[in-house]
Amino acid sequence: MASFKAALVAALIATALAAPARAEQAKAFQFALQNGMQVLVIPDHRAPVVTQMLWFRVGAVDDPPGLSGLAHFFEHMMFRGTPSVPNDQFSQTVARNGGEDNAFTTHDYTAFYEQIAKDRLRIVMGLEADRMANLNLSDPNVRTERDVVMEERRMRIDNDPQALAREQMEAALHLSHPYGRPVIGWPDEIRHIGRAEANDFYTHHYAPNNAILVVAGDVTREDVRAAAEAEFGKLPARELVPRADFAQPPRLAETRMVIARPDVKVPVFERIYRVVSYTEAKPGEAEALETLAQLLGGDATGILYRKLVVDTKLASDVDVSYDGYARDAGEFTISAVPRLGVRLETLEAVTDSVLKAYARILPKAADLERAKTQLVADATYQRDSQYQLATAYGQALAIGLTVDDVEEWPDRIRAVTGQALRDAAANDLDKREAVTAYLKPAAP
Amino acid sequence: MMKRAILAAVFALLAPGIAHAVDVKTLKAAKGEDVWYVEDHTLPMIAISAAFPAGSAYDPKDKAGLAAFAASLLDEGAGNMNANAFHTAIANRAIRLSASPGRDYLVVSLVTLSTNAKEAFRLLGLALSKPRFDADAISRVRAQMISNLQQGDEDPDTVAAKGFFRTFFGDHPYAHPSDGEAAGLAAIQADDLKNFAASHWVRAGLKISVSGDADATTLKSLLASAFGALPANPPPQLSAVTHMGAPGVHVIAMPVPQPSAVFGTPGILRTDKDFIPGYVANYILGGGGFSSRLTTDVRVTRGLTYDISTSLTAYRKAGVVLGQVASKKGSMRETLDVVRATMKKFIAEGPTDKELADAKTYLTGSFPLAFDSNVGIAAQLNAFQMAGLPVDYVENRNGLINAVTSADVKRAAKRLFNPANMTVVVAGSLAPVPGGATKKKH
Repeated sequence: MASFKAALVAALIATALAAPARAEQAKAFQFALQNGMQVLVIPDHRAPVVTQMLWFRVGAVDDPPGLSGLAHFFEHMMFRGTPSVPNDQFSQTVARNGGEDNAFTTHDYTAFYEQIAKDRLRIVMGLEADRMANLNLSDPNVRTERDVVMEERRMRIDNDPQALAREQMEAALHLSHPYGRPVIGWPDEIRHIGRAEANDFYTHHYAPNNAILVVAGDVTREDVRAAAEAEFGKLPARELVPRADFAQPPRLAETRMVIARPDVKVPVFERIYRVVSYTEAKPGEAEALETLAQLLGGDATGILYRKLVVDTKLASDVDVSYDGYARDAGEFTISAVPRLGVRLETLEAVTDSVLKAYARILPKAADLERAKTQLVADATYQRDSQYQLATAYGQALAIGLTVDDVEEWPDRIRAVTGQALRDAAANDLDKREAVTAYLKPAAP
Repeated sequence: MMKRAILAAVFALLAPGIAHAVDVKTLKAAKGEDVWYVEDHTLPMIAISAAFPAGSAYDPKDKAGLAAFAASLLDEGAGNMNANAFHTAIANRAIRLSASPGRDYLVVSLVTLSTNAKEAFRLLGLALSKPRFDADAISRVRAQMISNLQQGDEDPDTVAAKGFFRTFFGDHPYAHPSDGEAAGLAAIQADDLKNFAASHWVRAGLKISVSGDADATTLKSLLASAFGALPANPPPQLSAVTHMGAPGVHVIAMPVPQPSAVFGTPGILRTDKDFIPGYVANYILGGGGFSSRLTTDVRVTRGLTYDISTSLTAYRKAGVVLGQVASKKGSMRETLDVVRATMKKFIAEGPTDKELADAKTYLTGSFPLAFDSNVGIAAQLNAFQMAGLPVDYVENRNGLINAVTSADVKRAAKRLFNPANMTVVVAGSLAPVPGGATKKKH
């Protein structure tokens, strides 16, 4: 996929999608409008451009029962026009002004963004304010966009056995919590989305008092305050439907699955643990999980990577990651691809032995230091990109963290001890809280 | 978080263009390499992008993947450091080193905190001039690369793209994937890798762009430590492309719910006088996301796809117009019919005045967006260098776009977008779905 995209674009500069919430020493200014809209300004005067992101505290967890995919579908509909900016004129207007725009939906939030020359900030603010209040939903548009979303689902999920396996694992991991439903929706439920459902969703969730505006770039706090008050300040606050407080029922046993399909060419061992997120964790706990993931398999110096790929030569690749930016549970994921002829059972056994060891012993000081150095440097590198920086802050605020959480993150990582890592391995990585999958090729 | 994120509309689109924001200087490095740089001390970091004449087009016929294999071994041991020692050295300082082999060039990029710059550039120099190619690293990386190729075989987009290049470029080395082929990778020995690095990781033809926290004096010494020890001998020449394209639809059978198509026509070189008009024309046809005719006709009006795009790609020895689209089983024929009709209409009528004006304001107005980060600046400037453009292109580029006329666009479109010249490779199937998947028309 990567080489394909590289081949298709003459000169592609990729923007990372969702960046982790970390930003060393960036100065952000926060205020609120009368109507309850939160605003965050992150000045960066290196280039005469701005990144505007508008985050809504609504996502796939808010999909009504039987209508999974509605939040994501609705994100698409936000590009389908208002009386003053009809049809698909939103993106065309942004483009005509030399800007780029896009959007994304997760379980917890939906975000829309534009990148544009700084003297056009008012224009894109006006466009966002307009579609927050005046969206024009019509039946033919809804039907066509539903077809587009079904194509998107086929492209991202149904055509990709690893994505399908991941979808099954998530469904099992989260039991009845909506994190177990795919953001894009189950096909049979996407089909049931209609104009009325979309309209209800709009009325209940899209309002200034449910939004966070983040502007990064060549602007001052005063510029943004004046423009935001003029464009967004006139929108009335609305009564919101409160978000449901979903239970995360205890898991009493590990779930295991073997998925064998003819479209699989390479077997994969994967395990996801349901763990605490940054919003749920005790102080330092999420940072310890973050550091543990980096130490085990964040790069080619990772302990588990070295064990499986370099020393025993059982695997061709290993990856360990922690995703803690969520309103409810986070996830700790381990995956490994076997060398030719190696059984997935063998990879799993070695993985478990390494995890067991790190639940007992303290990591070597040099290994811990290296993992922390890598994570802290990420925060500096992230400041290089307006988009990543705006994403880090916006994502944090959207899930209920604060500006301080973002800005103190590097120091909190520096404070992680070997003891904390051992505790995380011993207590947070509980197999009862895990789903383990073997993805295997099968004869057609 | 990535795994839960869904993008509404992914269209990568980059204006090769100008930045009022950016002051690009050139530097004559010790050994005469072509160096462009932007000095900016806002952040304590430096980003560099360096392009070597070491892409997959130099792979021997029976060793497809040699360039990529050598590139993948760049951080797997050098000098007196084995792979573990080298990985540890760069990780200890949070140095980000990557090597991406394209068809013409190998692009090596390095991002470092400025406090670690001296060591980062020294390690890069070691990796480039004294690679070890240890047997252990070779067998490990070979297994990884072959496994990655096999995973690519699961993905119809990748299968269609590989099939397209094979079909379109026939016998030329542009035909094989830049990340190689399993048989080629299996045949490569340590000596092949050593010889390839010695003859391609060289100063001749080396193009370097840098952005960040370094002044000219500092930069000179950093560059000398990274590239000073490289041999100056010129690399072998690229072979000429004598034939392009195999018009028609070629199907690679795959049992997928959504077939994927890569389509294309013979394009033009970057030096062609129609390149900029062609670039504008491509924006209007399929490069411009929601502003493009193909997105309007295929996605917005008919809901046949999530993503359709075209690009004007210029390799050193050949140009190609490349397009990509995916649509559910049973709908690909209809989708390709719409693509052809849209192309036909465009070359017959040319752009509307509004389309041309909108294309110009986007392509010129969005140019500074490519210059908002050190990493972005280094990559963008290096892309211009690889295209053979002079440094004042950064200043002149928007003027060139604004000078394009409607007649220019129409002429370029006629040359580039004739559906009769189109090679299409579909991964999946063209068979209709029993019961009719294409029930609905608007």
